[in-house]
Amino acid sequence: MADKLRMAILGCGAITKSRHLPAVLAHPDVRLDALVDIDLERAAALARLNNVQCRVTADYRSVLGEVGAIINALPNHLHAPVIIDALNAGVHVLCEKPLAITSADARACCELAAKKTLVLAVGMNRRFQPGTLILRSVLEEGLLGNLQGYDCQYGGSYDWETTSGFYFSKTKAGGGVLIDYGVHLLDTLVDCFGPVVSIDYQDDDWGGGIEANAILDLHHHGTYGDIRGVMRLSRTYELPNRLIVRGSDCWSESPAADTDVVLVHRHLARQDVTMTLRHPEPNLGFRSNSFYKQLENFVRSVQGTEPPVVDGWQALSIIELIEQCYAHRRRIPEPWSEPADARTEVSS
Amino acid sequence: MNWLQKPIFVTGATGFIGGRVCERLVQAGAKNVRALVHTVQHASRIARLPIQLVPGSLLDCTSVREAMGDAKIVIHCGLAPARGILRTTENTLKAAADAGVERFVHMSTAAVHGLTPAPGSETEAAGLPRTGDHYCDNKGRAERIVNSFHRRGVPTVILRPSIVYGPFSAWSIRLVRELRDGKVTLIDRGHGACNTGYVDNLVDAVFLDIEKDQAVGETFYITDGERITWGDFIRAHVPMLENAPPLREISKAELTDYYRRQPGVIWGSLQQGGQLLRSRELRLLLRRIPAIERIQTALWAWMQSQPEERRERIRARFSIPESAVPENNGDLSMPEEVTVATQTGTVFFSIAKARKILGYQPRIPFSRGIRLVEQWLRFANHL
Repeated sequence: MADKLRMAILGCGAITKSRHLPAVLAHPDVRLDALVDIDLERAAALARLNNVQCRVTADYRSVLGEVGAIINALPNHLHAPVIIDALNAGVHVLCEKPLAITSADARACCELAAKKTLVLAVGMNRRFQPGTLILRSVLEEGLLGNLQGYDCQYGGSYDWETTSGFYFSKTKAGGGVLIDYGVHLLDTLVDCFGPVVSIDYQDDDWGGGIEANAILDLHHHGTYGDIRGVMRLSRTYELPNRLIVRGSDCWSESPAADTDVVLVHRHLARQDVTMTLRHPEPNLGFRSNSFYKQLENFVRSVQGTEPPVVDGWQALSIIELIEQCYAHRRRIPEPWSEPADARTEVSS
Repeated sequence: MNWLQKPIFVTGATGFIGGRVCERLVQAGAKNVRALVHTVQHASRIARLPIQLVPGSLLDCTSVREAMGDAKIVIHCGLAPARGILRTTENTLKAAADAGVERFVHMSTAAVHGLTPAPGSETEAAGLPRTGDHYCDNKGRAERIVNSFHRRGVPTVILRPSIVYGPFSAWSIRLVRELRDGKVTLIDRGHGACNTGYVDNLVDAVFLDIEKDQAVGETFYITDGERITWGDFIRAHVPMLENAPPLREISKAELTDYYRRQPGVIWGSLQQGGQLLRSRELRLLLRRIPAIERIQTALWAWMQSQPEERRERIRARFSIPESAVPENNGDLSMPEEVTVATQTGTVFFSIAKARKILGYQPRIPFSRGIRLVEQWLRFANHL
């Protein structure tokens, strides 16, 4: 028991309920000391629901002196200030994405973690999904031939069961679909194809709101040379929900509906065939879940046996990219919405 | 003072019409728009706008009051199931009365005359019938509530659109999907009156209601003023698709006969219930109950021990289907009764009163409206 990492989870919303708490409760080297939420009843209900004996509090500062690490699953605008407090208290942090809503805040977090020699890991759980790992191997092995580009489209009617509703507040969320789901995809694409050297960005924020749709043309320069790709995101429209990577020999498809596989489509003896690539590992229940694997990596990082798969610096580079997008945004043309000949004249 | 400078409160803002109202308000320069949001997940479209999203429920008086705040103009596009239509309308009106609003625009529907309006209902002068349809009758009752508040001094206006189409409209989304699947049937060659109203034309009428004092206390039909039939509406969507299967045709007489031959509520329920009880889906669901899972497992093991021929006899004896979902025997693609009722009306509503009192002129003709819909459907990945 003494060797267990004592942790607190800050923020008892949807992601904690469905992902972080089950991971923490399943991990043999972790002891949950506290659930923290500004809504005490929400935190208490979550503890009761999971039959967890731990402290329940609305004051996160009161737990920082007691635990060795926290999971920061608070609304986006609270990520950075709470990370700073935690690091100053000598506590390791696994923070939900995005690390912060500004690069300045994200950088401050990274620098403080480095100064204090504490772990600052960021919850990019897609990195731990089998399909993502297989895709990396497909690229590394050159299975597709010379890479020609990618097409990444993810979208559907927004259905995340948000408890606080902060996702629709610009000041609290920092943006819309790009900083929410786009942060995951950008992280995956940069991880696969290298840093982005140029970017063209459009979204449908009418000014003062948050975007529901975003279209990005990205140009990477990395291990595989110059790679260009298109990314489209939507909270309003059902999109194909897959990443396609085209190569000179064949093309791969990473479907959102099954994050365990990569499909490789190719011609074989004048026929179109599809190969399904999947890890043969047995299903380990929740331990196969990417959030569990992410926690496992964090715990080992705290123990000093391996580095975090996604540290603060990597997350910072994605925040910088997003900031660049928002700074140079162009509006997606919506000819069906334009008031070209709309009645705008009104009487007093 | 220009009304756009005043605080404006929109209900139903996450819906098709309310969402477009919010967009048009922003385009027109409104700076103080508050939109009531009941289900926050549905707010993606309006969250793009520089307006205030206010969480709340129209079913809760206090919530409406708080959300409405100091609004001077209320555009009520909100809905609720069944008689909730009445409660939500009354709650919004009460709050508006207390707030002393200067205009209350109520989005009603031409369906207050039923899904198949009777001849004589072409103008607003016709009295409201009891239609037997819950939605239609409750919308009619809601109009009476609005008028009662008008008599108490609330400056109300009622709008009755019919088939409102445009970007984000479920009519077009569903139609292109069903056209692609070959599930669209023209009833009586599509001669039924469609009474289309492009959403921007409707929003024009909303703005006119607010601008024109003569509108207060009045009720207006709002359509595009074109005699568009269901055949026109459906056929306009066909060229949007590549290689759409041909439209099927059926007469209303054939449909009437088909529905007359369908089992009534009791016999139909017994038939469907029996089928469901024997279905694989229900068996799988029941397996979640440990005791039933054991019984099922024992029965399954016993079945497996029987010779194939006997197993088949048992299956046949109890008519155990593999699935609860009936095979598509053609009947599934018959238009639903509500569709038949909606698409076989003969009444084209008159917008003469709106033209005269509001100065309403439908700006977007059907031909242009459909082109805008197609552009949007392509962007939205529906085509």
